[in-house]
Amino acid sequence: MKQYIVLFITLAALIAALLIGCTDSAPTGPAIGLGNSTVTKYVSIGNSLTAGYQSAGLYKSAQLYSYPNLIAQQLTKASANIGTFEQPYWPDPGIPDPLTEKASRYVIYGWSGTTPEIGPIGEALTAGAPENAATVLRPYDNLGIPGIPLAGFMDTTGTYQSPPLGRDAILRWTSNALLGKSVFRQVATLKAMGHTPDLVTFWLGANDVLGFAVGGGLIAATGNAPTPSATFQFLYSQALDFLRNALPNAKIVVGNIPNVTSVPFFTTVNPLLAPNIPSGLAIYYQKHLTTGSSTASTRLTEANAPLITLKGQAYAALLGHPTGQFWRDAAASLGAPLSAVLAAQGATLDTTKPFGLHPQNPWPDALILDADEIALATNAVNNFNSTIATVAAAHNAVVVDFNGFFNNIKANGIIIAGEKYTSDYISGNIFSLDGVHPSDRGYGIVANEYIKVINACFNMNIPLVDVNALPGLPAQLHKGGNGKINPVLPFGAFNSLDLLFSPSVQ
Amino acid sequence: MRLYSQHLLGTLVLSVLVVCIALGGGFQLNEHGARAMAQGGAFAARADDPSAIYFNPAGLGFQGSSVYLGTTFIMPQVTFYGPTDISITKETKMVNQTFTPINIYGTYELNDNIHLGIGVNNPYGLGTEWPAHWVGETKTQKTDLTSYFITPTIAYKIDDQLSVGAGLNYVTGKVTMKIATPIPFDAPLPIVNLDLSATGVGFNAGLIYKFIPELSLGLSYRSSVKLDANGTAKFDPNYTVLPLPNGDASASITLPATGYAGLACKVMKNLEVEADYQYVGWSSYKELAIIFKADPTKNKVMTKNYHDTYILRIGAEYTMNKIQFRAGYLYDHSPVSTEYVDPMLPDANRNGYNVGVGYKICERWRVDAAYFFLKFDQRKAENTVINFDGTYNMTATLLGIDIGYTF
Repeated sequence: MKQYIVLFITLAALIAALLIGCTDSAPTGPAIGLGNSTVTKYVSIGNSLTAGYQSAGLYKSAQLYSYPNLIAQQLTKASANIGTFEQPYWPDPGIPDPLTEKASRYVIYGWSGTTPEIGPIGEALTAGAPENAATVLRPYDNLGIPGIPLAGFMDTTGTYQSPPLGRDAILRWTSNALLGKSVFRQVATLKAMGHTPDLVTFWLGANDVLGFAVGGGLIAATGNAPTPSATFQFLYSQALDFLRNALPNAKIVVGNIPNVTSVPFFTTVNPLLAPNIPSGLAIYYQKHLTTGSSTASTRLTEANAPLITLKGQAYAALLGHPTGQFWRDAAASLGAPLSAVLAAQGATLDTTKPFGLHPQNPWPDALILDADEIALATNAVNNFNSTIATVAAAHNAVVVDFNGFFNNIKANGIIIAGEKYTSDYISGNIFSLDGVHPSDRGYGIVANEYIKVINACFNMNIPLVDVNALPGLPAQLHKGGNGKINPVLPFGAFNSLDLLFSPSVQ
Repeated sequence: MRLYSQHLLGTLVLSVLVVCIALGGGFQLNEHGARAMAQGGAFAARADDPSAIYFNPAGLGFQGSSVYLGTTFIMPQVTFYGPTDISITKETKMVNQTFTPINIYGTYELNDNIHLGIGVNNPYGLGTEWPAHWVGETKTQKTDLTSYFITPTIAYKIDDQLSVGAGLNYVTGKVTMKIATPIPFDAPLPIVNLDLSATGVGFNAGLIYKFIPELSLGLSYRSSVKLDANGTAKFDPNYTVLPLPNGDASASITLPATGYAGLACKVMKNLEVEADYQYVGWSSYKELAIIFKADPTKNKVMTKNYHDTYILRIGAEYTMNKIQFRAGYLYDHSPVSTEYVDPMLPDANRNGYNVGVGYKICERWRVDAAYFFLKFDQRKAENTVINFDGTYNMTATLLGIDIGYTF
């Protein structure tokens, strides 16, 4: 009897040991790393999107999630020895709006029911140097310059170095005073100091059309027409010529230009406002101020309906009221007398008529992008992108197709690890409160598009950013609730964006 | 010597803790007696202990009066690698839990033909818990399903060759769940705490036919049971500006029908072998829909689309005086297609390896114990409908014990 029991225990133990030993091994993928390449210096070139702008402001807690900083962190995880990726950090609440001398950053400062109330953070401050200006004794690695168009890359005339957006604090180095302080000079200086970049991301060109679009397509008033395609082609070739000559061995990755109408700045207000247009009436809006004031009407539901910009949401509640609120705000913003602003709109303007619902008090052109303007912007984007593809190929640079990527997000959204992201304002989880610049998670998504192209083209395996683990938008959720995101915006909301996207402002 | 042997056996029983229940595909628990479990669950053609109330009620017709009760310790281990679109190798281990389904049976021989019985067991149940704030927290954080089947049973022995039996299943079920809700803000995610319960009714029936005393056929069937569960949902935190529907909630789950066909043979004087085919009607589990009474727009519908499946079982029992040695094997074909694999209940084809021992302590007392190792095939979830792809490595260790007393 005893021997059988011993036998049984032995057998059971043996079977148990064998079976537990046969558990599955972990799945294996290609090893995290840079393949056969090395990366010792990463530099990002671009505009506000590259700087890490969010919610109409540039401030440290957002800059930490700029896509270049996220890419740099992933490079480090892939054993790239790039040291600290230096960015010019402006402590929260960040750089000021030069018009108000208060921080330009927008926040959700409260809730009306379930509607977020959004406005500038309202803290008065003056532009200061970045907190690390004195300790980073070389050009920054993040050369995202808020507001610059493509021409800003080579420009040494000072046009794009105006202090208000912190540009001069970034464009501070030159190896030769005579050469001026262009973006390109920062790269050349880095090289001269022995920090030769071997990985460069280059994402310029959006402001060559965005300023036009964000300003509602106003051409005459601001000169914000999209950059002519031939000029764009010249400038893009020039930029990549210089970059490639200076850095013959660098891996250069360029981003193309997303269609401006794929961002919530242009897609949020129409579906909110359309139901509020009284039955039988239509919105009258100014059209093509360049060729004199004329009006057209819309119910915002036609196939070619104009797009009301997010700036227009501030005036949406005034629809049908006898008001000249917009023109008063415009006058204040321009520092011009109201009478002059009104006179410029022509004799027929009558602010005692119902705002937006009467041809004599039409919805202002500055708050609307009509079908012709959309076509103009789209055409510019398409021309720019075909230039980018051609010029990049000729300079051994690879392209990230952000136009295709964001168009797809607008149409279908994107799902990351089971979480859905869309281009909806706030609830879509990609864009910050200004409706143009991405949020922390949005920049994570942008970083991943770069990393995917880098991995594919240069045979690397840099890990992707865990987008879902990045912070959502800051918000006080304990105040005041119907579930629809129908933002309350103050009058003049996003005036600071005009500045950001108006290259001529100095 | 005899004293020493008994002592040794006691040590064996305590240290190995033999099994009485095993996991089945989906959230089915398939083994409800240590003796059957040790034989791969191939028992429907014999059903010659009180666990016949579960496996085949006809088996009562060939039994006297007795009680049989025990429990099982189920210890699953699951590791998830993914989600694929972030990293195919990022590892998350499911929180280790031990489940202890019970089985209690009593049989009574009213006369030579009519035999009565009652059983209480847990044929369906599951529990999965993932670490707090894990990468899939908006898919599932914690899920527990328990069900109790109370089964009054009657068997009628027609003659020494044929017996038939049937039972009524009074079922109570309880579901608790925690799932996080995604929000676009930098704030703790609202986690819904669902607490639902239900009762339902089903039936089971079976027959055993002995061609000759050494060769028997068993057929049994257990109906599906629809549970309309009601209870409450509580979101924590629940932001006033992003209101979520606290209060009444409901969900319907149909526990699938199952059927056994088995053939048992006494190949030698001391050796019995049995092979069973089990069918499981998992196609009843199309979706899990959580209904919030306060705001139906927030209802959570999770598509499952399980399909009908089968389990193959084979087992043997060798009797040597007072001690019985048992072994078995089963193959459990997963009811879940690749695109429906989810972390609430990751599933895969399974191979189960069983060993066990029974000991007749004296004329009236016996004890059965079983060890069961369940090896899941590595499961790659690809193109999943929930867009949560990855790889699941899973095993389960089960230990069970049952004690029997014959009147």
